[in-house]
Amino acid sequence: MFLPSVLAASNLVKVQPGLIFWTLVTFILVAIFLKMKAWGPILSLVEEREKQISSSIESAKRERAEAEKLLADQKTAIAEARREAAEMMRRNTQEMEKFREELMAKSRKEAEELKLSARREIDEQKAKAIAEVRSMAVDLAMEVAGKLISERMDDSKQRALAEQFVQGLPLTGTSASGSVRRTA
Amino acid sequence: MRKAMVLFASLFAATAWAAGSEDDVPGYILHHVVDSPYLEFEVPLSTPIKALDFPKWHVPLKANGCAPRMTEHGEEIPGFTEGCLDLSLSKHAVMMWLAALLLIATLLIWGNRDKTKLVPRGAGANIIEMLVLFVRDELAIKNIGKEEGPRYVPFLLTAFFFILFMNMLGLVPGMATATGNLAVTAALSICTFVITQVAGIRAVGLGGYLKHLTGGVAPWLWPIMVPVEFLGLFTKPFALTMRLFANMLAGHIVLFFLLGLIFILGHPAVAAVSVPFAFAIYLLELFVAFVQAYVFTMLSALFIGMGVAMAHHHDDHGHAEAGPSHDHGKAHHV
Repeated sequence: MFLPSVLAASNLVKVQPGLIFWTLVTFILVAIFLKMKAWGPILSLVEEREKQISSSIESAKRERAEAEKLLADQKTAIAEARREAAEMMRRNTQEMEKFREELMAKSRKEAEELKLSARREIDEQKAKAIAEVRSMAVDLAMEVAGKLISERMDDSKQRALAEQFVQGLPLTGTSASGSVRRTA
Repeated sequence: MRKAMVLFASLFAATAWAAGSEDDVPGYILHHVVDSPYLEFEVPLSTPIKALDFPKWHVPLKANGCAPRMTEHGEEIPGFTEGCLDLSLSKHAVMMWLAALLLIATLLIWGNRDKTKLVPRGAGANIIEMLVLFVRDELAIKNIGKEEGPRYVPFLLTAFFFILFMNMLGLVPGMATATGNLAVTAALSICTFVITQVAGIRAVGLGGYLKHLTGGVAPWLWPIMVPVEFLGLFTKPFALTMRLFANMLAGHIVLFFLLGLIFILGHPAVAAVSVPFAFAIYLLELFVAFVQAYVFTMLSALFIGMGVAMAHHHDDHGHAEAGPSHDHGKAHHV
């Protein structure tokens, strides 16, 4: 066989104990050095990052839930406020309506009263005026009558007559004066 | 599998052509993929290749010192039998150190970023973090579990990046692939092996660990089961060793061999075919550099996970053994 002879002739499969020794020494030194200077820092950094990422995700979730809760609270608060506002509005309108009605009633009543008192005043004034006109008509009639008959009559007698005459006059001013004129 | 066949084919070609060829292409290829006690480099515009010899460091293991055996070529062979531990540097040792320095420099530049910012900035920091997270999440935590996984992340990360950098360094012209050396891959597997056993003992205690070696069968089957289980302990790191070694070596041999075809066939026109092929293989090797680092790390994590999982299924032994067979199949595709 050629193969064993090749292997024997070459240094291919020769195992040098010295190289094993150096490899072990080198590997162990490199491993210790890298553990201190490279793997330790890198791995701790990576672990810290993983921790931070997971805690960030966790807190994000928590904050999201919190925000959702807040949002729901806010929504109910807004709905509540809206409802209250509507209620207030309704009550306000009602009150306004009531107030307006009250005001209207009051003013109507006042106007009525004013009208009544005005009428009373008018009536009073009218009665007074009528009385005045009557008395003036009596005087006038007497004067006219005196002048007509050119003699003085017994004052009281004449007066009674005139008054009797005036009593017969219709109550309204115009008809009174007309009748006065007619009588005259 | 395909890669292994190509490896054997190239080895066959190497023996076939070693005798006759003037340009000794196979010899050149073998010379470049195996370790050497010197570092070769070419100075541009000067023909002779410079070589830097490494000093010989022989550590005596016996009281009376170390006397290397001499071969007929005048080479010193300091073996264990002569009481020597040969700690001389070699090309691959230097390449491994270079890879280690590059790795440390890369990680210090891009890994050591602003501590106040939690997000990496820039391509370098992002790539490193992506790979780190990949090793942690996809390899360590998936195979070992959420509780025990993070403990082994630094080891897995170091294995992944160290192998990756050695693989990549081998693809730089003028450099060599340290992971294409059995001693290097064996040492890496030894680390995995030790950590795997420690993980198992940590999980179930020494008693549970030894009990696990019996496979949970009836005592009269122990004489069969214990050797099988004991061998099983070593087949895993052995597979790790061979897989990484063979993959890295084979890729480089294929690469060299495609270019060597130009000289073997002796016509410049061959370059029109072999250079595009070699380019394609080079791109494949870039991919393989990542894949092999991934496979080694993933299998290490898997073995550690099996050790850790001893605590969960003592009786359910078949389940624990289902893992590697599944992944051996996966590794063969690579």
